[in-house]
Amino acid sequence: MSYLQETELGADFAPFAAFREHFGFVPNLFRAQTLLPRAIEAEAGIAATVLLKQAALSRTQKEYILLKVAAAQRNTYCVTAHHHMLRSLGASEDQLNQVLTDHHRANISAADAALLDFALKLGQHAPWVSQEDIVSLRNYGFTDDAVLEAVLVTGLTNFLCTLSVGLGPAPDFEPKRIDSGETSQQRDNQRLSHGGRFASGPYLRAVEYSAANFPPFAFFQEQFGFIPNIFRAQTLRPDVLEAEAGVIRAVLLTKDLLSRVQKERILLVISAANLNTYCVAVHCEMLRALGVSEEDSDQIAVDHNQTDLSEADKALLDFALKLAVRPSEFQFEDVNLLRRQGLGEERMLEGVVMTALTNFLNTLQMGLGTIPDFTPKRVFTPRDLYPSVKESRPMSDVAVSQDPDTEVVRRVQAGDVDAFEELVRHHSRRVFGILAGLLGNMDDIRDVTQDVFLKAFEHIGSFQGRSKFSTWLTSIAINTGTQLLRESKPLEPLEEEDDEGFRPRQIQNWAENPEQLFAASQRDELVRAAVLRLPEKYRVVVLLRDLEQLSTEEAATALDLSIAALKARLLRGRLMLRESLAKHFICPGKQQP
Amino acid sequence: MLTCAEFLAEFGDYLEDAVSPEVRAQLEDHLHECKTCQVIVDSTRKTIRIVTESGCFALPEDKVEPIVKDVMARIRKKH
Repeated sequence: MSYLQETELGADFAPFAAFREHFGFVPNLFRAQTLLPRAIEAEAGIAATVLLKQAALSRTQKEYILLKVAAAQRNTYCVTAHHHMLRSLGASEDQLNQVLTDHHRANISAADAALLDFALKLGQHAPWVSQEDIVSLRNYGFTDDAVLEAVLVTGLTNFLCTLSVGLGPAPDFEPKRIDSGETSQQRDNQRLSHGGRFASGPYLRAVEYSAANFPPFAFFQEQFGFIPNIFRAQTLRPDVLEAEAGVIRAVLLTKDLLSRVQKERILLVISAANLNTYCVAVHCEMLRALGVSEEDSDQIAVDHNQTDLSEADKALLDFALKLAVRPSEFQFEDVNLLRRQGLGEERMLEGVVMTALTNFLNTLQMGLGTIPDFTPKRVFTPRDLYPSVKESRPMSDVAVSQDPDTEVVRRVQAGDVDAFEELVRHHSRRVFGILAGLLGNMDDIRDVTQDVFLKAFEHIGSFQGRSKFSTWLTSIAINTGTQLLRESKPLEPLEEEDDEGFRPRQIQNWAENPEQLFAASQRDELVRAAVLRLPEKYRVVVLLRDLEQLSTEEAATALDLSIAALKARLLRGRLMLRESLAKHFICPGKQQP
Repeated sequence: MLTCAEFLAEFGDYLEDAVSPEVRAQLEDHLHECKTCQVIVDSTRKTIRIVTESGCFALPEDKVEPIVKDVMARIRKKH
């Protein structure tokens, strides 16, 4: 029994016969998908090639990956299943408990422990995987074929874990308690580090195939108009590519239930939340080919709740996003919420399978390090950092009623020119600070500051008090500054293109008191240079929030942004500043040569 | 346990002290176990502190009155 309806498939349903043959039982996870036999067939194809086929890694090594990565996700269903499988492969209860508690102290080889470290990192902390992790596996003697299998098995684990969270099947055996080896987890994670420098992928050796000599590539070429790099990176296993083409055909390209556009949206939204620029670029492109404008795709990736999608479509994306990215919070109630939208059981099931497929593909991509097939059109603000914020654009700041300038503004509006002097005196620091932060080293910032006040004076009649005067003045300063900025550097790209941009890279400890490493004037110079290097849209937000200390609401009003967008840009800007200041402030003595 | 991506999803609100107690507890569980995210939190807080306390774009105190004077002179000339 699971969250969705099930049905009986005949005894001759081939995948079930194969499960009985290989596992001795039909896992409830697949019984929970009987409304969609084509999905079961495709998944069985992946499982057969990735898990059952003997190639570079042994079945036991693969089962350990499944066990540990599922345990890290606290996925009782999958842990129970793979615990059972390892037992039937001959592992003792003691051995399994040791591996679950701390695989570094278990009776497995150092190489196998390193393999599990890699799988755990890829399964749980994918954005941190880099070329160095692959190199380290090679140093333990793993071939590229073996690493590819480790990536595939980890992807498969995420596929199965997502399916089981979304479908809620009963465990097939006495549930295995995950008492987790917190200590082991802690040790695993303390090993987490990123090489610091991103070598561009792909990480593994590949064989050259073309659409002319390899049917799966001919299929991708025909369906997509190109052969995505994520598949080109797996040519060491043509059989797996065939199985993956089978999943794409059965799950993504079918249109009888969810439409292709609905499915692509699921891929897009989750990939953005998983910080997977590669998949975001691919699926934006696919949506474009399906007639969805770049702008619309972009907005879906930024925040699907701020689009004019139907309520049912938004609910489907909410559902998929939570299932994919916050599985620990996902409950039966989430299934019921979606059920109330009237999608029907089959479509909901297909939504779960699409979500699982997305996590599979995202994991593969992070493990393979494939470079985008298309130049990412725009780097996404970390909308994924605020996946479900439904706030609308503030119409006014919260504290309007307490605007200390109300009275003075009223006098100026009534014709008292002299009263304006007080407003200039109160606000000249902020206007100057914003302009200096935007324009950098221009000598005439004081002149521009005056211009801003003149504009404010000329238009004060149109100020209606919907925001604070200071907020209104701030938006004039921003507009004036950005306009000058664009005039002075018309060729500067407004969007940065670095596809790794939203992954923090510098992860060395900072000094306890970084301020003490420099004199105040040197520190100011470092901050100034770092702020001026920020792309404009992040810079203005950092200027308003961190340098001028406006509230979130005031800053959002001044920039005419939603609260969610403001917060996302602020975090992004702060992370970029952190990145660029890190080299000056990391622990003395630990600086890289 | 939250993943790093889940942690980063809440990171902005966490920095602003704008998460619910339940979410905070989950985030801190993750932090307790993830050295990488610990470093990111610590260094981001320090970044904010350094930037916030910096006077790098500040108008010197003695330049305020000249600006007031010039602005008012320009306004009065026009009106």
